Amino acid sequence: MKAWKFVGAAMGAALLVSSAAKADVTIKVLHLQDSGPTLDLWNQIVKDYEAANPGQHVQLQFLENEALKAKLPTMLQSDDRPNLFHSWGGGVMRAQIKAGLAEDVTGWSGDLEKELSPGAASALTDQGKVYGAPFDVSEVSLFYNKALFAKAGVKAEDIKTWDDFLAALKKLKAAGITPIICGAGDKWPMHFYWSYLVLRAGGGNILAEAGAAKDGFKGPAFVEAGKRLKELADLNPFQDGYLGTNWNDSAGMWGDGKGAIQLMGNWIMTAQQTYAADKKGQASDNIGVLPFPTLPGGKGAANVTLGGVDGFLVSKDSPKETVQFLTYFLQPKYQQVAAAKGFYIPATLGTSDSIADPVIKQVASYIAGSSKHQLFFDQDLGPSVGRVVNDTSVAIAAGQVSPEDGAAAVQKAWDER
Amino acid sequence: MRMASEGGPSLANGPMWRSGLVTAAIMLPPALILFTVFVILPIGEAAWYSFFNWDGFGRPLHFVGLTNYLQLLGDSAFDHAVADNLLIIAVSLLIQLPLALGLALLLSRRQIGTAVFRLIFFLPYVLADVAAGLIWRFVFDGNYGPISSLAVALGAGPVFLLADPRWAFSAVLAVIVWKYFGFHMMLYIAGLQGIDRDLYEAAAIDGATARQRFRYVTLPQLAPMIRLSIFFSVIGSLQFFDMIVPLTGGGPLNSTNTMVSFLYYFGITRMRVGFGSAVGVVLFVICVTFAFGYRRLFMRND
Amino acid sequence: MTDRPAHGARTAQPAAFDAAAAFRLAALLLVAALVLQPLLATLFGGFKDLGELRTNPFGLPDDWQWRNYWDILASHRLWQVLGNSMAIATLTVLLTLAVSSMAAFAFAHLQFFGMRYLLSYLLLGLLFPAATAILPLFIKVRDLGLLDKHWGVVLPQVAFGTAMSVLLLRNAFRQLPVELLDSALVDGCGYIRYFLYVTLPLSRPVMTTTAIIVFVASWNNFLLPLIMLDSDSKYPWPLGVMMYQGQYSSSWQLVLAFITLTILPAIALFLIAQRQIVAGLTAGAIKG
Repeated sequence: MKAWKFVGAAMGAALLVSSAAKADVTIKVLHLQDSGPTLDLWNQIVKDYEAANPGQHVQLQFLENEALKAKLPTMLQSDDRPNLFHSWGGGVMRAQIKAGLAEDVTGWSGDLEKELSPGAASALTDQGKVYGAPFDVSEVSLFYNKALFAKAGVKAEDIKTWDDFLAALKKLKAAGITPIICGAGDKWPMHFYWSYLVLRAGGGNILAEAGAAKDGFKGPAFVEAGKRLKELADLNPFQDGYLGTNWNDSAGMWGDGKGAIQLMGNWIMTAQQTYAADKKGQASDNIGVLPFPTLPGGKGAANVTLGGVDGFLVSKDSPKETVQFLTYFLQPKYQQVAAAKGFYIPATLGTSDSIADPVIKQVASYIAGSSKHQLFFDQDLGPSVGRVVNDTSVAIAAGQVSPEDGAAAVQKAWDER
Repeated sequence: MRMASEGGPSLANGPMWRSGLVTAAIMLPPALILFTVFVILPIGEAAWYSFFNWDGFGRPLHFVGLTNYLQLLGDSAFDHAVADNLLIIAVSLLIQLPLALGLALLLSRRQIGTAVFRLIFFLPYVLADVAAGLIWRFVFDGNYGPISSLAVALGAGPVFLLADPRWAFSAVLAVIVWKYFGFHMMLYIAGLQGIDRDLYEAAAIDGATARQRFRYVTLPQLAPMIRLSIFFSVIGSLQFFDMIVPLTGGGPLNSTNTMVSFLYYFGITRMRVGFGSAVGVVLFVICVTFAFGYRRLFMRND
Repeated sequence: MTDRPAHGARTAQPAAFDAAAAFRLAALLLVAALVLQPLLATLFGGFKDLGELRTNPFGLPDDWQWRNYWDILASHRLWQVLGNSMAIATLTVLLTLAVSSMAAFAFAHLQFFGMRYLLSYLLLGLLFPAATAILPLFIKVRDLGLLDKHWGVVLPQVAFGTAMSVLLLRNAFRQLPVELLDSALVDGCGYIRYFLYVTLPLSRPVMTTTAIIVFVASWNNFLLPLIMLDSDSKYPWPLGVMMYQGQYSSSWQLVLAFITLTILPAIALFLIAQRQIVAGLTAGAIKG
């Protein structure tokens, strides 16, 4: 291999001399963007970039969310690993940095950091070093189908507390409507419930506190969250077969109007179109959004939010052009389009005014008014603990594990991490 | 003496002996090298890596002794995977084997339609496990699958077999029987056709009933093939993986993992090289012990 | 049955025979229906639209949606994954045959000290599946720089297929008349020329059997490509069909059409060459 590389390099050098052209560079981007319209924009950016930078090529490679998570660990070990790969930051990213998979690109591009909102940009940094950049910010909220709420006589504005929420579910069920769609087959959609309940019970700093204390994850907030989750599941609010439904299908079902509520990041807005049977899904004006309800006596207020960023990490030994492309990709000119068309909430500064969709606007205002924007637990706690949190959330909902044992399992994973 | 009979008399002579040596030196290394590099070395390395906590980068340095094995013993998902492997073996022996044998008896003689039925029954075996798994994922699908549609038509409401931890693995077992009974049936047909007709005639002359003929002629004569079929069932169960991914992905709640799918989901996709290697070593020991033990105990004369 | 009296009393004998035959036929038809139903549902499901999958699960499509199939046939995707599978399987077969026939020849005809141990060593490969050492194998392939290359799948496949192939071929080579080899050697024809011009041409049937077994195993292999290959442009069809399903998971009619088209080559080949394939796969299993 080394020999061939050498030959290749020599041939490249010879070409360079003879034609005085800059050596071709290919930047490989691994993404999980499944929305057609969003990809159209991204492909346009790539096309413009390639036209503006002769000799540079950008390859977008798509892997579906679950496939990406399963494949990435082996993929990053390859010599031909992607130069940019999807990341949500947090403990998973720190593990990748620690393993030497991500390139420290601090100072590679003066413009990169200036483009982004400082809060979002810091998500893909570690100890002051920059390893990549986010393209959007997102928040997990309760998305609901207005028509189905109306049919069941449920008023969204009345849902403030956990009890209000449960009452609404009962009402929906009584009206013959599936209250909640959840892709529990992929596990992480269910962990949003447990995470939010932990935040509501324990407050915005609960993860930091739990990690610092001995047996912190066995604490009352975590047990309480499990009990509430079980209480929710005991109402049977989920669609039939929810334990086997994967996230894509759940987005499609919700887009088809087969259930009223989905607790999900705002990417549901595009995904419900992509995976709906008619590829259109619910019209934006039939979709409403609510903050996750509060728990009586809990420490976390309604403006403690759960969410994160989507971004790209630069992989080790990537060429300088990678960051050049990333900077180009994130420029306001393009990200304003994404904002205007409601694809996502761009992390790029100067795009927020472009957001037109009322639902996305609402989510953006939640994020802006957040007292603490907690990163998704499964990403924040790192790969091994995150998986256990996901497993545990589903197991508690399915009644296979008690809230106490679930909390203990997370603690055990934390200790063994 | 063996030399003379197999290699030819000239082998003893100088020039031919040397030419033989040269031949061996040319012909053996490719197979031996490939085999050593990609089969034997990895097994040895699996044993070595299993004592480390390693994410695959650099060299394994973080020695953890038997921790990986101890974790494995205490892992309820692994226990479940082992139990699932045992269930596959049980179903292979108690359901698939009698089914395959019964159909082989029905199809062993040339009759009209025999060839067509054999072909149909063997067909699922030709399909890749991945395709079979996806096809049955559709059949079991609660929203669009035929089984669920049938249940709805009968007024029972949709059924989500693969989403129910109590039923998902039974569904997987049904697919296994569907996929593999035809292969075992062919083994039995081959065995039945090898039975000497005279034995039946002699039994008939002795006044044996059909039942007695089966009990005292067919079964004993077929015994080697049955032992072989059991051997394949067990080995097949131990390496069962491909179908799990499209059918259930090991879920719901890790209720449908086999040892190999456990290795995939808990070792490979999390790049826990040490832990995954420990799973591999356990699997290796089980396979080799079984293969040696079974051959020694049951297949000595076959 | 045709010689039954047209009218008159039925004797007990033919009636019992009829019942047994009828029972036999009913049992066979039932099993055949259970075997074929999922396959037919897949084939015809690909011609339906999503709504009809639910309303008409078992029947023929009311409104044949040829588009489902045409769109896939016209897309680059199907041909790419089938082409990759073909490339990987062909390379695997050629290399396995080359490597194992040479080794099998040596094991069949040459007796030096240690040869028997070497053979036993190779046959260790029959005792355990590739999955047991898959993680170290992955590391090895990575270190050789073969990740995301077809060779990274082909070479391990050849290595794991060697044991069975050598065993099959060696047994067959040994059954060739010894006199042939003796006279050839006396005539000054060396081992290698004998191998090329006598052994191989005379062993075509067993080579075909071995090729079929290796080809089918490679064509259907899932675990190795799943772990070794990254780019979808290099995926063989089992990965391709999984990826397609992941992308169009809720559009079952498209997934069913895609599955049908990917398994069609295997089924067609099976129907054309069923005798050789059945014999090959079962014989391979028995002798291996």
